[in-house]
Amino acid sequence: MNFIKRIFTGMKQEAEPESSVMAEEVEKSTVAEVSQPEPEPETETPSNFPVVRSVIQISAISEGVFPKDSDEVSIKAQPTPTGDQCLFTVNRPLMKGYSWYFSDFESATESSLAEALFCLDDVEVVLVCESTVTVTRKDKTLVDWIPLAKEVGTAIRDALGAGKGLIAEKIISNLPSEEDIREGIQKVIDDEVNPGVAGHGGNISLLAVKGNSVTIQMGGGCQGCSAADLTLKQGIHTSFRKAVPMVGAIFDETDHTAGLNPYFS
Amino acid sequence: MPRVNTFKVKVQTGQQGMSEPVHFNFNNHKLPFENVTGSAESGKVFEGSFDVNSFAHSLTLVGPESGKWEIEKITIEYDCENEKPYTVHFGRVTLDETTEVNIWQDAPVLAFDV
Repeated sequence: MNFIKRIFTGMKQEAEPESSVMAEEVEKSTVAEVSQPEPEPETETPSNFPVVRSVIQISAISEGVFPKDSDEVSIKAQPTPTGDQCLFTVNRPLMKGYSWYFSDFESATESSLAEALFCLDDVEVVLVCESTVTVTRKDKTLVDWIPLAKEVGTAIRDALGAGKGLIAEKIISNLPSEEDIREGIQKVIDDEVNPGVAGHGGNISLLAVKGNSVTIQMGGGCQGCSAADLTLKQGIHTSFRKAVPMVGAIFDETDHTAGLNPYFS
Repeated sequence: MPRVNTFKVKVQTGQQGMSEPVHFNFNNHKLPFENVTGSAESGKVFEGSFDVNSFAHSLTLVGPESGKWEIEKITIEYDCENEKPYTVHFGRVTLDETTEVNIWQDAPVLAFDV
């Protein structure tokens, strides 16, 4: 109620000076018409329409997640709202500047961190990115992450303590350039993804490439669509990883609350 | 969408400040802050709050009508219905007469130590 009341009060306050300016302008133009038979065209037209501003999206920064200057390994677990994944943030770098997607146990060969995680029963997929690990679990019916998260925490600590290479040397030495990733991903978007979502009035654009991590944005019918998460995980991720196997983390920076014409509302 | 009871904002201005009143846009309604202290001038800290008591669909900090406003840091304390109060921090951004910055963020998902 407070908010609504203040909106009306605010509108009234803003409207008064505008109408007096308008009246002044009308008076001036009447005077001008009398004194000058051929008035010059107005250079500035007063408008009551508000200026349409573009909304800048910036990421929130995390502060005070870990105690400063601590030698101990600290790990925070944060399950996703969908419940099938959990993000583990570690207070030290795991793969500086890059990310890597481990789809199965075979892909984890010689990467001690991923090997340790795949030894846990319920781990399906592992994504290592900078100082984070995202684990997707096999059993999607379980919502309580605490038992598995504790096992993951122990596995990460053991891998860090072992002193072996967390990520295999063959992966580190063959990391692609940002340009290769950009070209490959843009090609998949143009040839495969966008023609696929165009039927629903949607479109996908590549916003940024950092290392081998990419950031995309969904637009049109995909923005605000209730099936956007499904499109992202089962459609876009699969296409990207099939065409560009070296791609690491895929971030979606779509503001789904601002979607104007979602296909499924 | 949660119902926002109140929110409090603290903005640290960088080198280029502005002298206009600071406005925010709540669900596309442009409003001034209440309980204002400080300013948005160069190097200064602006603080303000608002008793919203309404459901949040969008919330932005609006740029100046003229010139640029270099923001170093934005801190927002949210008090929403059925949620524990939470704080969100945003980093550097520059606003002008054509831009506004999103400052709405849902309550963080519960995190725990492992």
